[in-house]
Amino acid sequence: MDQLYGYSLYGLSLLTFGGIYAMLALGLNIQLGFTGLFNAGIAGFFVVGAYVSAILSTAPSERHIGGFDWPIPFSLVAAMVVSALIGWAVARICMRLRADYLAIATLGIAEILRLIFKNETDLTNGARGVSYIPKPYESLAQPWNHVMMTVVVLAIVAVLYFMLERARKSPWGRVMAAIRENEDSARAAGKNVDRLRVQAFVVGSAMMGLGGGMMAHHLKFIDPNAADPTTATFLVFVMLIVGGSGNNKGAIVGALLMWTIWSATEIFTSMLPGDLAIRSAYIRVFLIGLMLQIMLQKFPQGLFPEKRLETGSSG
Amino acid sequence: MMKTFKQLALASTMLAFVGTAAIADEIKVGSVAGVTGPIAELVVPIVAGRQMAADQINAAGGLLNGDTMTMVLADSQCDPKAGVDAGTKVVNVEQVVAIVGASCSGATNGMVQSVTIPAGVVALSDSATAPSITDLDDNDLVFRVAASDAYQGAAIAQLAWDQGYRTLAMTYANDDYNAGLAGVFEAAFKGLGGTITSNQMHEPNKASYRSELSTLSGNGAEGLAIFAYYGGSGIAIMRNALEAGLFEKFLAADGMFDQSVIDQIGADVLRDNIMITQAASDYDDPSYVAFAGAFEATGHSPQAPYAAHGYDAAFLIALAIEKAGSTDRAAISAALREVAGPPGVVIRPGEWAKAKAAIAAGQDVNYEGAVGNNDFDGNGDVTGLFSVNVVGADGKWTGNLIR
Repeated sequence: MDQLYGYSLYGLSLLTFGGIYAMLALGLNIQLGFTGLFNAGIAGFFVVGAYVSAILSTAPSERHIGGFDWPIPFSLVAAMVVSALIGWAVARICMRLRADYLAIATLGIAEILRLIFKNETDLTNGARGVSYIPKPYESLAQPWNHVMMTVVVLAIVAVLYFMLERARKSPWGRVMAAIRENEDSARAAGKNVDRLRVQAFVVGSAMMGLGGGMMAHHLKFIDPNAADPTTATFLVFVMLIVGGSGNNKGAIVGALLMWTIWSATEIFTSMLPGDLAIRSAYIRVFLIGLMLQIMLQKFPQGLFPEKRLETGSSG
Repeated sequence: MMKTFKQLALASTMLAFVGTAAIADEIKVGSVAGVTGPIAELVVPIVAGRQMAADQINAAGGLLNGDTMTMVLADSQCDPKAGVDAGTKVVNVEQVVAIVGASCSGATNGMVQSVTIPAGVVALSDSATAPSITDLDDNDLVFRVAASDAYQGAAIAQLAWDQGYRTLAMTYANDDYNAGLAGVFEAAFKGLGGTITSNQMHEPNKASYRSELSTLSGNGAEGLAIFAYYGGSGIAIMRNALEAGLFEKFLAADGMFDQSVIDQIGADVLRDNIMITQAASDYDDPSYVAFAGAFEATGHSPQAPYAAHGYDAAFLIALAIEKAGSTDRAAISAALREVAGPPGVVIRPGEWAKAKAAIAAGQDVNYEGAVGNNDFDGNGDVTGLFSVNVVGADGKWTGNLIR
């Protein structure tokens, strides 16, 4: 019975991590999936959100600035606002860049942001990280603390999904798709393309900040290593591409699925004896890359291909 | 529909049966380590040390009623996300009774705060040295056999002062371990009356450190204190400094302790010019000798950083399980302090049969490990021992305990 109980708790953990990654993937979906903005700097917005929410919500500490003891909902909103502001600044600078150039610029900006948090020791405790971050409902007895954390994460994902589906079907979402497919014709139709691209970038960045904030609360600890590009940028890309770029449901399913694969494969590799267990830890990284290759080669649309909206007339 | 339900019920009964059958003869202990990630090369001997403890125990009668001690490896990647995930897996899926690890301080901090403290599982770290772990509100569930950086930083400063250094330049890799150590060193060296001419942080894994070194040199610095991992940036910094003739004397801490430093820079260049402190053991102590002989036979160097700590951590967990007389997580937590410190029959590495007999006879035991006496203070910390290592005549590191 203990074993089944343990599996259930692990299942909750998968849903919590997967749900937080779903926030990042949904954020990327607005940028890449809807509007075609190749943002390779997810880790940057993630780390901003994580640190802002962490520092605002922890109790005062002499290791880093503050501790401002804010309630978690407020600190999360602040994380979104700050991420959005940074996203706006980045967008203003980089929005004229196209596809791969934008990717290079955002990749660089993410690294700059991560290094700022790593090096501004007086503000963030540098590489040593921020401890004692409060977690929603952590005072409840096990398993209810885990259950409630999962519920909170999934509720946020559900709200985001609902809002994004509305946005996708709205005129705003249609213009975004138009910009992605043919920017010139959208411009010719009188749309303010630059402004709309900035909007998509800012909204997506805010959601990545929210994901970062939730991750900080879930881990109760954050340091710059948590924004490692492998697991904070690359993995999110794989999630969205596997799930289906442009499809919100795909972003969520992709995040849950890929996190489960990423995490649960270790249960099997750790059964191997001795040195093999150590070596096989690298297989997990390889598997994620392989998965990306197969999906891109065989199913470029992902598990849930983007649904085209009915235009009303078949002209 | 009914048929599928029956199959499901059958399957879950079988699963439960397999589960209980496995628990009856196997006691799992989590072995969480940064297998992939920035300290991957340091982790292999540490994990081997943990495993050797389990192997010896299983060969000498096993835990409790002859149960096998199984170390379940999980990868913390030196990343708090992965640390939390690894902790969740070993605690819930593998149902471990206690955890050795995690390796890096960041991953350990995340794992204990988010997973093991709420779940009431003991975590005994063998290499997390961040001072922030000392004052965690942990219900006596977080211990470590690795001394906090506060101790090693002070030890290396004292060593430098005793060797006649008064003016030093220093550089450190910007990671949780080296940054903390460097901070303590700087304060301690200045406290002794020394002067730090320049203190440069650097990012690891760069191709060249010439620009950092040119900032550091000059101003009469007698030597350079390097706080870095040898593979990440330490060797590159030393090579650049020697090539440009900027520094010839070096001080370093245990992230630099590896034979490859001598092999790649050259024994003749480094002889009399480098001192490395290392969290170490009293090499004449019978506890260390017992560990070193056995560990060497497994094909690893007993002086590999934190390998002996890994061994001691796993051995202590086993003693605590035996002392508790059950696999109850809370009982193990309570027993850990008792087996680590006095009073009691002194148990040394490898002496599992003796320990088992003493506990069975109702006696107290006191583990005197390969890295020292491992007596935990109120915070679950140890003071630790440090050695100073220089290049010997044979081109290998020669260590002496700092007394």
